[in-house]
Formats: sequence, structure tokens, C-alpha cells
Amino acid sequence: MRAALVVSGFTALFAGTPTSAAPGPRADERDVPAIQDAPRPLDRTFYFTRAAYNDRRRGPWGSWATDYPKADIQFLIGVKRLTIIDAYEAEHPMRLDDPDLRRYPFLYAVEVGRMALTPPEIEGLRTYLLAGGFLVVDDFWGTYEWANFEREIRQVLPEYQIVPIPMDHPVLRTFYDIHEIVQVPNVWQGRTGGPTWERDGYTPYLRGILDDRGRVMVLISFNSDLGDAWEWADDPFYPLPYSNYAYQIGVNMIVYGMSR
Amino acid sequence: MLQSLAGFLFKYRPVVFERGDLTFTAPWPVSAAVVSGLALIGVTAVMYARVPGAATRTDRLALIALRAGAIAVLAFALTGPALMIATVVPQQNFLGVLIDDSRSMQIADAGGRRRGAAAADAFAEDGALLRALGERFKVRLFRFSETVSRLDSTGALAYAGRRTDIGGALESVRRDLSAVPLAGLVLLTDGGDNAGSSLTDPLLRLKADRVPVHVVGLGSERFDRDIEIGRVETPRSVLQGTSVAVEVTIRHAGYGGRTVMLNVEDEGRIVSTREVRLPREGESATVRAHFTVIDPGARVFRFAIPTQDGEALSENNTVEALIDVADRREKILYFEGEPRFEVKFLRRAIDGDPNLHVVTLQRTAENKFLRLDVEDSTELVAGFPRTRRELFQYRGLILGSVEASFFTHDQLRMIAEFVSVRGGGLLALGGRNALGEGGYADTPLADALPVVLEATPAGSQPFFRELSITPTPFGRAHPVTQLRPTPEASQRRWDSLPPLSMLNPITAVKPGASTLLRGDADGGPYVVLASQRYGRGKAIAFPVQDSWLWQMHADIPLEDMTHETLWRQLLRWLVSGVADQVMLTASEDRVDPGREVVMTAVVSDSGYLRRNGADVMATITDPTGEERTIPMQWTVERDGEYQARFTPEMDGRYRIDASARQGATSLGLGTTFVEAGDVGTEYFDATMRSATLRRIAEETGGQFYTEATMDALPEDVSFTESGATVYEQRDLWDMPILLFLLIGLVAAEWTLRRARGLA
Repeated sequence: MRAALVVSGFTALFAGTPTSAAPGPRADERDVPAIQDAPRPLDRTFYFTRAAYNDRRRGPWGSWATDYPKADIQFLIGVKRLTIIDAYEAEHPMRLDDPDLRRYPFLYAVEVGRMALTPPEIEGLRTYLLAGGFLVVDDFWGTYEWANFEREIRQVLPEYQIVPIPMDHPVLRTFYDIHEIVQVPNVWQGRTGGPTWERDGYTPYLRGILDDRGRVMVLISFNSDLGDAWEWADDPFYPLPYSNYAYQIGVNMIVYGMSR
Repeated sequence: MLQSLAGFLFKYRPVVFERGDLTFTAPWPVSAAVVSGLALIGVTAVMYARVPGAATRTDRLALIALRAGAIAVLAFALTGPALMIATVVPQQNFLGVLIDDSRSMQIADAGGRRRGAAAADAFAEDGALLRALGERFKVRLFRFSETVSRLDSTGALAYAGRRTDIGGALESVRRDLSAVPLAGLVLLTDGGDNAGSSLTDPLLRLKADRVPVHVVGLGSERFDRDIEIGRVETPRSVLQGTSVAVEVTIRHAGYGGRTVMLNVEDEGRIVSTREVRLPREGESATVRAHFTVIDPGARVFRFAIPTQDGEALSENNTVEALIDVADRREKILYFEGEPRFEVKFLRRAIDGDPNLHVVTLQRTAENKFLRLDVEDSTELVAGFPRTRRELFQYRGLILGSVEASFFTHDQLRMIAEFVSVRGGGLLALGGRNALGEGGYADTPLADALPVVLEATPAGSQPFFRELSITPTPFGRAHPVTQLRPTPEASQRRWDSLPPLSMLNPITAVKPGASTLLRGDADGGPYVVLASQRYGRGKAIAFPVQDSWLWQMHADIPLEDMTHETLWRQLLRWLVSGVADQVMLTASEDRVDPGREVVMTAVVSDSGYLRRNGADVMATITDPTGEERTIPMQWTVERDGEYQARFTPEMDGRYRIDASARQGATSLGLGTTFVEAGDVGTEYFDATMRSATLRRIAEETGGQFYTEATMDALPEDVSFTESGATVYEQRDLWDMPILLFLLIGLVAAEWTLRRARGLA
């Protein structure tokens, strides 16, 4: 199964341009055993919760499952080694319209360039964020995918603006001091030493949606693929600096999301 | 009636027998009368024994006894019994008459007449009582309330005194008349002594001088219909935004079962209203009024019940209290041993609260800490405080999931002393490394905590329970559990809250600790919120790990403020009453002008050790803004305690600031307020206090009278050993009771003899 997921992850990375055709089957209509079988223990402090959402992608797997679950598990190994967070070690996906989502105030979403939220998902994510949940968005590239994500997130939080995260923002100081936003390439380009960008996403950005008190509700890692850097951190051909950076900013995101 | 009958039968009133000494005045010795009587009894016995007839032995003994009784009465009369009693020499002695001139004498419970009217009538210039006393004494009239002065005529009585000081009045008049032969004092009052001074010393001095105090109690001992607000317990100072629960005791007579409204007003604005059903006759109602203090500054809160029909007094339906609503930022240290969402949501709950400043120190990795909301770059830069000075700058301390072994033994002792010596508030949260699971069971901190910690056995399964949480009966009345404006709405909210989880199985609290919240689950109930006083401070345990679910749970609407309200109230409670280095209090927060106020300052250094050698000055700002500064003196009786006195002269609010220095070092500043004005003391507990008045009479050798019996005063007052007196002989041989006894005994004997055929 893991091999299938890896293949799926790679497929996602090289899936080509997003389509504006009619959306494919809903995420919850596909056979995604990972969600149905996911354990739901309650006695741990932190769950790296992956957002399972509806998208426009065709195929057996939703784009939400890109790099899933190896990236999650491998990242959590690092989180537990680097910090003292009582983190649940396994993958933990949840649908955005699941009422239990609010029990897990940290949420990670990837490939949002193909996101196509249903009304219940919009409502679920909106109440989640306004109640105090923290969403990290990763691994989407270029103008078209940005436009798609922006359109989707505006349905969720129409009254809030997406703003740049300055380099002196606490999210870049919370655990590690990060002084540069690095473009983290996907595994293929990282291994081959090719260009780090995809499509027209030449420059990495860290952006955010802030609440009325200036706290980050949504942290957007655009034109970068932290997930691959976590997933392939054990690959001797994947450049270590990218994995290091991905772990550092990933830990910062978690600690920020647990304390602000 | 009984007194009159006794006076007729015994010829004199009982007071004469109490004061007089028995003597025998016949020209022959008492023994002669006794011997003669016995001889006659003997002869009678012999005669009755020998006389023929059918009478039984019992009849004969009864006849002998009756005859013996008659002979004894006769023999007693023949001894010439008399009482020797000291009485005043007419016009040679002074009599002080003290008339209560306080407001309570305006109460019209003396048969529809004001209490003062009875006294004024009796001692009016043409009054019968004054005339009768004037025949025997030189009468001096005094009026008294909080002060005493001579009174020329009862027409000058205004009944306007705001307090009554009976002890002070007696002492003052005793001194005033100490140079003249004083036969006694007459005190006319309702006994409502509310000056706070002791009666014991003045009574002892009067007793030593053999000056009897005759007391006339005015008014009734019980109102037929009245409602009175008794005790109202308010905090002196609270933080702005605090939810306050004030316990109010309501007494009543004649309104059992009636529902009345208790209103609380903040400077005229109603902040709380609740219905109170009055209990049955003779019982008091104790209710809690809940309200939130919003506006800062020293504020007068008014607790009032609308006047009911037929009430004897309306003035005692209102009580006012002064509360200093502090608009300051209370600094609390939250030390969390691991990244937890509790940090995020606690900080969010108080975000924007101008009165709470939570400085967070969160351990994120071994020896790596995240500091949040510190005041400067040096604060907590070395981690958790290692010195008392550093820790004691905070007023509250929250300990999260951090194992005891993280701290040195001295740090654990320091945390315990933060509560016991500094007087700070400690809040221990639950978590996988907290409380018993954190190894605190045998540490100095275990003593401070209100819950019983059990050491976790090695290898045991981790504990985890989801708890349905409800307030205990004690907790329901506590301000910290008030999630909604009314207790009923709060209870409904508690009933609908989702469960929280617990990793620390706490089921017992220490003796003296209080449980406010409990959680029900298998093996429970579990303690969810408990507190206890520990030394000068308080310790609270809140051993759940995810109170943030009351913000994030799907059942909690976005606009719901339960989580914010709970934490804001919990943290305000945590720091309420926490000591400053200079703690200033006044003996009374509301006083009548002219009444002395004692200010007490307790001065400590930065380690909260009491300091005796400090220079402490009190600056008093009167209602017009004028300031004066007076030194405060060390009381010697207690370490670090300084006192000064001042007397407010005008109505209005007085601000008092005490500053303390030791050498060049400032030890701090303390502030308190005193509201001078009409307190209305005279109208509370305003029934006639016969117990107090009887005590005054009994301890000094005087008599207690009521308005109905005070006609006997002139005669009774005459029997005194004080002043210029002579001894009078009062014969007893001709008491009607002796004649009636003699006739009765003889008649009974004759009747019995006739019945038994011995006549």
C-alpha cells in the first residue's frame, strides 16, 4: 500500500496542469481506506491532522493524499526527536466536514491548487478556523493553482485578506530562527539537481490569513513542497538542506499553532 | 400585677427586701419567743394526743402541724421583725438621668408612639416622673448618642444621633458627677449600642463606685412586620471585570413565604436582581447576589429590598458597601512543560483583557523555552525563576504539564512559599507530567495543593477518562462558575458543555479544601476544580488537560464565550486578595463623619518578609482634594504592621495612600478608600435590646424597667447606699401576709377538728 501511495505521490507531483473540467468524484466518494480506518485516540496532545477535501482531480486518490502517509509519519518522527511534543506517531487524516475536526486544532493541507470545496467543507473549515484552528497549506505552484486556492479560501473566509508573512514574524522565530524562505523542490527535481520550481512558481512565498487580533489562521507555503522534503528525508539522493529547512519550518509551524 | 400583689401582701415592694437587712426590734430576746412558741407547740401536741375521739393518728398529726404553724407565725410577729434599709437623704444627692438622643429613638414602636416621646414625656419639666424624682434628688439630665452633653430640658432632644455609645455615655456622666454625692444613674434607651466600644470597663467602674444604674428600656423587643438586610459580605478590592458573588443575609418578621426582590446597584445602576422567597418566621434567608464589576474606581454598591406594606422600618432595607474596583494589570506566570493547545487557548481566552497579563514560559524541547508576552528581553531569559525576588514579582503562577524533577528542591520550596509567604495564587493544571503523574506526591508542593496526590506505581497503565463536569453545591454559589448572568442560566450551560479529559486520577481533596467542579466517569467522581488557603495565599487544582475543548468542540457555537469567561474568572480569582508589599486597610470602609478610622498598613520587602523599621507615611485626600500626610507607627504587636488614625470631618470619599521606604529603597504603595456619610447604623438590629440593658442594671445593682413599669423608679432609686444616705427601719410584724397566714391556719385547724368530731 505504501508503494502505491508513493507512486500516487509522485503521480501527484508530475500530474501536469490542473484541469478546469468538471470536478471528479468527491473525496468521500472514493475508496480511501486511510480515512475510514484511521484510529482516533484521544489521549495524545498533538495530532498531525491532514485535511481530506474534495478536488477537481481525476483518479482513485484525492490530491489531499499527496505524499500521504509517509510524509506525515516521517515528519512526526522528526518532530518527536527535535521537540518534546507528545505527538501521535501515525497519520491522521480528517474530512473538513467532520464535526470532530475541531478536536484537532492543527491541520495540514497539500495540493490545494486542485481543491474544490463542497458547501459542508466550506462551513466546516470556516468554523474550524474561526474557533481557533490553524491550517498550514503546502505544495501548490504557479499562477493557476494560486488562483484556484485563492478562490476556494475566499469562500471559506471572504472577509479576510491573504497577506505576506514578514521575515520577522513569530512563526519564523518560535522554535528555529529562520531567515530565508527556501524553495523546496519535489523529490524528482531534488534528486536530479534540476530546477527547484514547478510551472511558473519560480519564487517561494510564505503568506497568511490573520484573524482580527493579528494571529495566523492560515499559513500558506506557496511554490514550495515541504511534504516531499519530509517524505524523502531518508533518501540519500535528496539534498539534506531542503529536508533540514522543511523540518525547521514545519516544527515552527506546529509550535506556533500550539501556542498563539 | 404580681408586683402589686406582692407589695400588698408583704407591705413593701420586693426591692425593699432585696436591699434591706432583717432585724428584730421586740424588747425581749428572740430566743424567748422561740422557747415560748416551742413550749406552746409541745402542750398542743400532748393535748391533741390525749383528747378522746375517733380521729386517726394522721388527723391528729395534721392538727398539731396546723396549730404549730399558727403559733410560729404569732411568735415571729412577737419578735418585732423589721428591715433596715439605706435611703437617700432628700435633696442631698444627685441623680444623673441619661436620655438616648440617637435616631433609633424616632422609631414608632411604642404603641404607635416614638420611643423618644416616652422618655421626653416622663422627664418633661412638668412630667410626673421628674417631679417625683425631684422631690428626693437633685436631678441632672444628659442627652447622649455618640457623644454626651448636659440637657436643660427634654424639649432640646432632637433624636438625630447617628450612633449610640452607651458605655461612653455612662463613663462620661460618672466622671462628670464624680465630685458630688451620686445616688445613681437612670438610663433611658433602646439599648442599640453600636459604637463598638466595650461596656465592661464602664460598668466595672460604676460598680466599684457603688453607683447603681437603673435602666428604662424603650421600644419593643420584636417588630411585628419588618424586613432587614443583615450581613453583606463584599470584597474590599476586586479586579475590574471580576464576577462577584456577595452573600446577603435577610432577616424578617411577619413576611414568611413572601417573595421579595433583592436589587444590587452600582452607583445607581442596577447590576443584579434576584427573587428571594423569605423563609418561615424566625429564620433568616442567606442568598448570593452575583454581578460583574465593570467600571473602575472606588464604588458604592447598594443592596436593597423594596419597602413592603406595613413595615416598621424602611431604612434597614438598604445596605451600602464600598468596593475598590482596581483597574490594574495582574501579572501571572504560566509555566508549561511541553507544547500544548492549552497554552494557545488560555492565551486567547484572556487576549484583550486589560487586567490580566499572562507571561508564558513554555518548554518546547529539552532546555529550550519559548517566552511569550514578556515585558523585556531579560524576563525569564534563564528559564523558570531561580530566586524568590524573580518569582515573587508575579501575583499568580500556573503550572502546566511539567514534571517535578524539572525543578530543584529549592525551586519547589520557593513555589510553595510563593503561596504561603508571598500570598500568591497557584493554579495547577492537569497533564501527563502534572500532579501525581509528574512526581509531585512527596514534594514541598504537595502540601500546598488542595488535592490528595497519589504516586503513580511504576509500570501502571496511563489513566485516561472523559468527564462530564458539573459544579458541586459549593461551586454553584462560587463566582468562578458563573458562566451566565444568572445562576439558573449558568447551570443550564454547565449541563450542556461537552466532556473534558483527565490524565490525573484525582478523587480526594485535603481537609479544609473546597471542591467546586467534579467530573463523573468510571471510578469517579473525580475532582475537576478545588482550592484551599495555604498560608497567606491560595492554591487551586484544575486537573483536566483540555479545557480548550470548550472553545473548539463542535458543540460550542463560535459566539459562545464559555471558555473565555471561565478562564477570565478563574485567573481573577487566582489573583484576588494577593498581597502587595504595602497592604493598606481601614477599620471601616463606610463611616459617619466624626468617627475615627484606624488605618493599618502591613509592609513587606521584595521577598515578602515583614519589615519593622520602615518609614511609612499615609497621605489622606479628602473629598475636596485637599491632602494631608501623617506618619504611621509600627504597632510593635505584629511584625510589619503600622497604624495611624484619622477622623473624616465631612461627607464624601477619602482616599488614603500609604507609602513605605526603608532607607533609600521604596517598599511600595498601598491605597484604600473610606466613604464618609450617613451609614444608617441606628436602623439596623433596632429592636429594644433588653438583654444588654438588664446586664447593665444587674451588674451595677440597679433595676430594669420598661415604659409600663417605670413609675416605680422614684421609690426604688431612693434605696441606695450611694451618696448621702440614712438607714430607715421598716416594720414587718404588721405585714398582711402574717395576718392572713394566722387566720388561715387557725381556720383550717378548726374546720378539721369539726370534720373529725374533736370540737
